[in-house]
Amino acid sequence: MAQPVVQTIHRDPALFWWILLPITVVMILTGVLRHYAMTLLQTTPKKQVLPQIRQHRSLLRGVNLRQNANVLSPSSFQARKAYMVSAFQEGKFLADPEGRGKPRPNPMSDPAAMEGMMGMMKGNMAMMVPQTLIMGWINAFFSGFVIMKLPFPLTPQFKSMLQSGVGTRDLDVRWVSSLSWYFLTLFGLQPVYNFILGSNNAASQVAQQMGQVNPAAGMMGPEQDPDKLFQSEAENLEVLEHWWVLEGVEDRLLAKMAS
Amino acid sequence: MNDERELVINPVVQTSVQHNSQVVSNIRNLTASLFGVAAGTLGLESYPGFAFYLIGTLIVSALIFLVRAEGKPSEYFHRPLGDLWGGEVVGGLSSFVLTWTLFYGLVRA
Repeated sequence: MAQPVVQTIHRDPALFWWILLPITVVMILTGVLRHYAMTLLQTTPKKQVLPQIRQHRSLLRGVNLRQNANVLSPSSFQARKAYMVSAFQEGKFLADPEGRGKPRPNPMSDPAAMEGMMGMMKGNMAMMVPQTLIMGWINAFFSGFVIMKLPFPLTPQFKSMLQSGVGTRDLDVRWVSSLSWYFLTLFGLQPVYNFILGSNNAASQVAQQMGQVNPAAGMMGPEQDPDKLFQSEAENLEVLEHWWVLEGVEDRLLAKMAS
Repeated sequence: MNDERELVINPVVQTSVQHNSQVVSNIRNLTASLFGVAAGTLGLESYPGFAFYLIGTLIVSALIFLVRAEGKPSEYFHRPLGDLWGGEVVGGLSSFVLTWTLFYGLVRA
């Protein structure tokens, strides 16, 4: 099989200054801008009324007791468990004790739920709008010519995307137009943002997607019935198999000293 | 049950774990970009380029192992194999490709 002829295209060196550099700079600045936009768009948590906070915190207290049960001696754990379980089952900490057993209202009508959805929408918007704008900008200004050659081959499926606007059918896929440089910067600038903005910046896409999976609503989401949460937490406490970390500590200490 | 007891006696602090993995990720990202510069300047294409990246990350892992972890990775990492030797290798690849393409385009093509 004969080697295919290596295609060479002579390009103006000014392409670097007028296309590659501007796109890179714009992408970096967009990341920085997105970081600050996200920081500014973050709504401060709304002030909650006392029974709500009490309900939330006492549930957290039950969870903490369950998770850190090992540091308590058996007697003190039993005392705490007995108190928490009875209080949870009676619904002592509920924000509205009369509302037990009633069906929850529609989450769409709940203003607190709308707040959470708005936060998610804002995050999505801050991602989508700059990307759409920049892609439009690149397509409007820099389409129609080849600017660089990739150092690795791609399958011909990429041809229509990466060589859009270049009307040559037989050109090697490795010659790509400016849109592919945009994609490379989109995925490769992550560490640059990390170094400019610090590690937990809002410009990173991974953090964005994580934020969508786990919105700020947290474990006390408005769609959950607090009474059900309390009941299940009481059940968890009941079935917890308790052991004490200080049990047999003398033997461990002696074994450590002996070795 | 035994594992759980072991974890309570010798706890793994989340903040330290995060800090260690952050240090590894910073080193990886920086070196990946530099490897991209080197590969582009050398004019490597397709498979040799990716092989260059893999060999480079192996060397960097060995350096982290010897210099930063002082030969005792189990003291710094919960899972030494995954976190030290394999951590962030794929994450660095995108920045490697970015600088590789840039310098290849500037120097060669």
